[in-house]
Amino acid sequence: MLEIKNLHVKLADEDRVILNGLTLSVKAGEVHAIMGPNGSGKSTLSYVLSGREGYEVTEGSVIYKGEDLLAMTPSERAAKGVFLAFQYPIEIPGVATMQFLKVALNSQKKARGEKELSTPDFMRLVKERASKLNIGPDMLKRPVNVGFSGGEKKRAEILQMAVLEPSLCVLDETDSGLDIDALRVVADGVNGLRSPDRAMIVITHYQRLLDYIVPDHVHVLSRGRIVKSGGKSLALELEAKGYAQFESEAA
Amino acid sequence: MVVQKTAAEMNYGLSLPHRKMEDWRWTDLRQLVDKPYPPRQTVVAAAKDVERLLRSSPFAKVGGARMVFVNGRYAAELSQLKNDTVTSTINVDEPVITMNAAFATDGACLKISGTVDTPIELLFITTNAAARTIATRNVVEIEQGAAATLIETHLGEGSYLSNSVTQIRVGEGARLDRIKVELEAADAIHLSHVHTTLGKNSVFNDFTLTSGAKTNRQNGTVEFKGQGSEAKVSGAFMLGGRQHADTRLVIDHQVPHCTSRELFKCVMDDNARGIFQGKVIVQRGAQKTDGKQSSHALLLSETAEFDAKPELEIFADDVVCGHGATSGDLNHDHLFYLMSRGIPPAEAKSLLIAAFVGEAFDLIAHEGIKEALVKFSNKWLSQHRSGRA
Ligand SMILES: Nc1ncnc2c1ncn2[C@@H]1O[C@H](COP(=O)(O)OP(=O)(O)O)[C@@H](O)[C@H]1O
Ligand SMILES: [Mg+2]
Repeated sequence: MLEIKNLHVKLADEDRVILNGLTLSVKAGEVHAIMGPNGSGKSTLSYVLSGREGYEVTEGSVIYKGEDLLAMTPSERAAKGVFLAFQYPIEIPGVATMQFLKVALNSQKKARGEKELSTPDFMRLVKERASKLNIGPDMLKRPVNVGFSGGEKKRAEILQMAVLEPSLCVLDETDSGLDIDALRVVADGVNGLRSPDRAMIVITHYQRLLDYIVPDHVHVLSRGRIVKSGGKSLALELEAKGYAQFESEAA
Repeated sequence: MVVQKTAAEMNYGLSLPHRKMEDWRWTDLRQLVDKPYPPRQTVVAAAKDVERLLRSSPFAKVGGARMVFVNGRYAAELSQLKNDTVTSTINVDEPVITMNAAFATDGACLKISGTVDTPIELLFITTNAAARTIATRNVVEIEQGAAATLIETHLGEGSYLSNSVTQIRVGEGARLDRIKVELEAADAIHLSHVHTTLGKNSVFNDFTLTSGAKTNRQNGTVEFKGQGSEAKVSGAFMLGGRQHADTRLVIDHQVPHCTSRELFKCVMDDNARGIFQGKVIVQRGAQKTDGKQSSHALLLSETAEFDAKPELEIFADDVVCGHGATSGDLNHDHLFYLMSRGIPPAEAKSLLIAAFVGEAFDLIAHEGIKEALVKFSNKWLSQHRSGRA
């Protein structure tokens, strides 16, 4: 589904290199965890995959479902099934959550040449997905993320994912700021979306999340490249020994 | 030095305000009144033109009783409300009022007692004819304890100068929600002055949408005459092309214990120019005044411009007053968030612009009126976002 080859990324208006030859292959149905210390480039990877401005790819390629992902605009990527659950979901005052979700879903459907959802069908879909994530009507009535607690924001990201039904889900530190109960709700939501034709990249700093979302592969990102890959036991090893060993390997 | 009179000034027989005058520095009418607009012309309007304009009001389906003015004259056959003779007493030396005093042909005289549930619409329409000045003078009185919602709509076609002066008295314990919508013709000039006095424990909610005319100058004065009153004066600009809109408000706290809020949200595209001049005066003895004003501009193009001139004149010490002004383009993080969910750039921008002006629309209490304005705003956005993805 996703082939990242030798990806080099620098900041667009600075000479700083953030990703430094990153290679990663993700197949449909797989869950990949990317772990790494703060500042290793995890969020940058998620932004480059979703098309945020401010980054420049100087080398390498990203092929998604056989197409050049980097040539697409952010909304085209989304319509083709790429979804990023943001590390820091932003508040958008004045834009109602339901309206936002409906425009997003129907824009994607339109871009794919599918039939758009009627308002009642859309309402039903959202209510059903929201109840599984403990998201009540009062949260849905507010503007996008406005006044949400940290945990509510993360749940709202997963709700968007559940409504938009992407093929490639990138979750950037979805566990941060969650207490154990909220973590379970979010993990159940994510696990409910696991499917043979959906892939997930779960970015996290701690292995805790991986007790709930069990990955098929674990990668260690350090200084902009993947320095070690393994099975889920690698996460436990990291938890025990820390990232220091990889910092030196990457240097 | 003798200043050469402009053609328009000679035609009027009076001088126009110009940029050397402090309040008019951004709106030099000697230049902007670009040709003579002869006053007091009699133009007979064709029925189909009038019908087309009436239908184009955003409130065609919202309003209750209407009072319609065609080319500056009360049109009884189109109005459900009877009109009275206007006797206005604004005693202010102000260029828009001076012009109005010289040229006004007619106007609305409304006296409201009791609670009027459905909105009343004053509709001023101008049909296409030779360039001319149309001046109306209105008096609105909300009697003690009365409450009403008043819509004032300005629509037109062709090239003309419309001058509208309105005197409003809100009596003790009374409430007025006023919504003015300025949708004059693209080649029109719109000048207005609204002078409002508020009695004890009254409520005044005023909203103005400015989206028509090539040149706009709108003055508003609110005088607090009795304690315990509250005024919210808000508005939105939705401007493109070379449109120019200058709004000047003076909120005059003459007595203690009153609250005033001003909020203006200005969306400017192309080469549009917006100006917001807001002055809050707290007179000696007007303690416990709570007065705040803010203006925010969203510039959709690099050539659009916005100037804000907030002023506070405070002669009392126990007051809370403040002002703020911002100007900028769309928030890129917001845009990216929306686009990352599959919303195409042009639509993402529209959502954010609608959210920006929506904050001002939200101050309109009447749902039907608010909806009509949101609809208008969406139409405006769909016409102004093309090719700007
Ligand atoms: N837009 C940006 N502007 C400046 N520095 C950035 C930007 N994006 C990332 N960086 C820098 O790149 C490095 C990697 O950041 P990030 O991808 O957020 O790491 P992680 O998510 O692994 O903590 C950090 O040193 C960060 O400061
Ligand atoms: Mg990060």
